[in-house]
Amino acid sequence: MPEGCAICESTWGDYWEEVEGQRMFFCCEICAVQFKNMINEVKKRTGWPSIGEIKIMGDYRGREVTALRDDKSVYKFIIRFGSKGEIQKFSSL
Amino acid sequence: MCGQTFPVGDYDALGQHYFDFAEKSDIAHVMWLNRYVTRKKTKDAKELSKLLAQYFDLGQTNGNLQKWLRLRFIDRFYGSRPHPFVVALQHPSKSILLGYVIEHQHFLKQWVRSCAYIVAKTDQTDATLYELDNINTEFGGIGTERPAHYELLLKMGESLGMDRQKILSTPSLPDTASSIRSWDDLARTEHWVETMAAMHGLELIADRTLREDGATISYFDPMILKPGSHEVTEETKDFLREGYEADVGHSKEALDLVEKYAKELNLIENVQATFLKSIDIFHRYLMARLQRAEEFDSA
Repeated sequence: MPEGCAICESTWGDYWEEVEGQRMFFCCEICAVQFKNMINEVKKRTGWPSIGEIKIMGDYRGREVTALRDDKSVYKFIIRFGSKGEIQKFSSL
Repeated sequence: MCGQTFPVGDYDALGQHYFDFAEKSDIAHVMWLNRYVTRKKTKDAKELSKLLAQYFDLGQTNGNLQKWLRLRFIDRFYGSRPHPFVVALQHPSKSILLGYVIEHQHFLKQWVRSCAYIVAKTDQTDATLYELDNINTEFGGIGTERPAHYELLLKMGESLGMDRQKILSTPSLPDTASSIRSWDDLARTEHWVETMAAMHGLELIADRTLREDGATISYFDPMILKPGSHEVTEETKDFLREGYEADVGHSKEALDLVEKYAKELNLIENVQATFLKSIDIFHRYLMARLQRAEEFDSA
């Protein structure tokens, strides 16, 4: 059984997608859309070619996220998604 | 939740249904389980059935349906992580209030439409009288003495510098529009008792007595209504005060009727399920108010 959805940690569902060259588990398609949108936004804002690790706290009301690069660079932000998985709010911390 | 119906008390069938759809990663079913029951997949459908039976069991509130609805509402909007719009409304910025005005005028039009569906479907005099009074308070008003909630909303918008025509002619955001469609659909298709719970249960948002049942905060900090406070305009105070004073009675009276008829007509589980659907829609709608406010902020 997978550890949990990359966005919400839920272990329901059986939805897999390849993101950043890695096969990842999501509980549903919306979480996969959210995750991909988030990764693209971080790359756009930081200029990083890739992201090593993502740590997420919070829930559907809003999430505080830490993105880490392999060289130990850190980028923190708050993100909230709309009902279709689009980014509704993004603010760097 | 998805329109599929089950015999009263048949949690085995309900559990199997949710388990099967969750296995297929169906968005609506997975989200519902994540939000209301558990994010941890159960070992089988039977285990999920037990959790669902526990979740809907009124034994936890001594058979009191109204209390069950209040506790679910608190979980969703006033728990340890209150809804972001409510957090923003504690000491509201101008853009938060304008976001409220623009989206809410669309909401109130649907509100009376939903109440009218109840009137159209019920033959119970107490329910009809309640709805007529509510429609009048929310939308009609009684002369200049007691302007309707709708009028107070528009006046609040004007006091914040927005022209009435501009308020009325601004289309709602997509999430408000889709929420309104969902409520219209619900009122059109569901039993009138369920619609009563779905709509008037939302008035719990401004019910300050929720604090007695564990809500961590109220809809806004009541200090902003104090006579000497200039944090918000007088028209804003008039609008917020109306909800603050009316919604305790509104939701309680309506939910008393819901309790009475849900028990009489054996609709308790339907009411519970429809209420949960409505607060899901409400969450989306409140986020639209916030989104509108953020548009004002970034303009």
